[in-house]
Amino acid sequence: MIDTTLMLSGLVVGIIFGFVLQRGRFCMNSAFRDIILMKEYTLLKAVALAIVVQMIGFHLMAQTEIIQLNPKPFLWGAVIFGGFIFGIGMVLAAGCASGTTYRVGEGMMGSFVALLGLMIGTVITKLGALAWLDSNLKSDTFKAISTGDLGVDPGPLLKEGSTSLTLANVFDLDPWIFVAIIAVVILVVLIWKRGGEETQVEGTLYERIFKRGWNWWITGIAVGIVGIIAFPTFKKYALGISGGWFSFLDTLISGDADKLNWFAFLVIGVVVGAAIAAVIAGEFKLRAPTARRLLQQFIGGLIMGIGAIIGTACNIGHILSGIPQLSLGSILGGAFIILGCWVTAYIVFMRG
Amino acid sequence: MSSKEKPTEVLDVRGEVCPYPDVKTQKKIKSLKSGDILEVLIDYPLSAERIPRSMEKRGHEVLEVEKKGTSEWSILIKIK
Repeated sequence: MIDTTLMLSGLVVGIIFGFVLQRGRFCMNSAFRDIILMKEYTLLKAVALAIVVQMIGFHLMAQTEIIQLNPKPFLWGAVIFGGFIFGIGMVLAAGCASGTTYRVGEGMMGSFVALLGLMIGTVITKLGALAWLDSNLKSDTFKAISTGDLGVDPGPLLKEGSTSLTLANVFDLDPWIFVAIIAVVILVVLIWKRGGEETQVEGTLYERIFKRGWNWWITGIAVGIVGIIAFPTFKKYALGISGGWFSFLDTLISGDADKLNWFAFLVIGVVVGAAIAAVIAGEFKLRAPTARRLLQQFIGGLIMGIGAIIGTACNIGHILSGIPQLSLGSILGGAFIILGCWVTAYIVFMRG
Repeated sequence: MSSKEKPTEVLDVRGEVCPYPDVKTQKKIKSLKSGDILEVLIDYPLSAERIPRSMEKRGHEVLEVEKKGTSEWSILIKIK
């Protein structure tokens, strides 16, 4: 049976998330690619700030027993391979999982095609022709390293029974030490490097919220807050995109409504929220690139979907939701998403 | 800030996806002379904000960003 209240909560959080993503132009593909492609750090700053806000929020909520942290297992082989090809895919798709999803709400048909590719990629990797690859990369050869293997205690803030590695439990230190160090380092760098990249803010408050793109720091805080709302709402995890699209297509194929999960409602909400934001801002337009570009974006989406399933999460599940839980698997997965993005961006845009 | 300056060349990147509008603009700028004015026609919101930012950082002068319609902008850049 579908828990209607829970599912509706996913839709509502998704609509808010989509609104924020569209207003903030929050796309991790741009954030990471632009570091090497155009030495632009605006979106990267938003990503970093969102991670800090969530890291503090998650740990406060875990400390007060509102949530239990649920970091992904340290499936090192799977997150390295899956993360890397996810990074390749997002450059070709012209957007990460969240960027692609919010741009569907702006009427970009290229992103729509990439999203179809992503959905197909997740289903064939989890259930179909590529399931062998997924299970091989999660077999005993690449077995997840657990806290038991290292002989350390999982720590007090983790979900009962979780043996996932975090920065805190592998070093057997209080998680707040890492939260404090990471937060201070990121905030100091952000304050030191501030200015020069702000979007021009003019007009009334209404115009600044609904008509213009947001400044990076507003976007970062807003995305962080959405994550802080998402975790205690869903309880099992914070935000995620690729798992939702998998559930959506899986439900359509099987006709089994029980396969619809919270994330499926979340991602539908993201499209709706982004569409609302785009319509209000006068930025909604059905548009398509050339046939060649559409094909490129479809293939990119497909690779992203494959990478997200193998790598246990997309950019949102790992970088936005996993790293704030200090998950070692997400840190490794996130690093390889970025590496895959850089290698591909170099080959596609910078060579010659 | 004069908004009536005539563009030397017009670059139409409408329909293009991330980050092609930016990459094509950068490429075009390299073929232009100092003082030339490039008009970029664009319909992708992220780049419509990112291009003026990155052009100013490179020392070019952004004369005007005009919203021409639903998700359509014109950016006037004076080459350094």
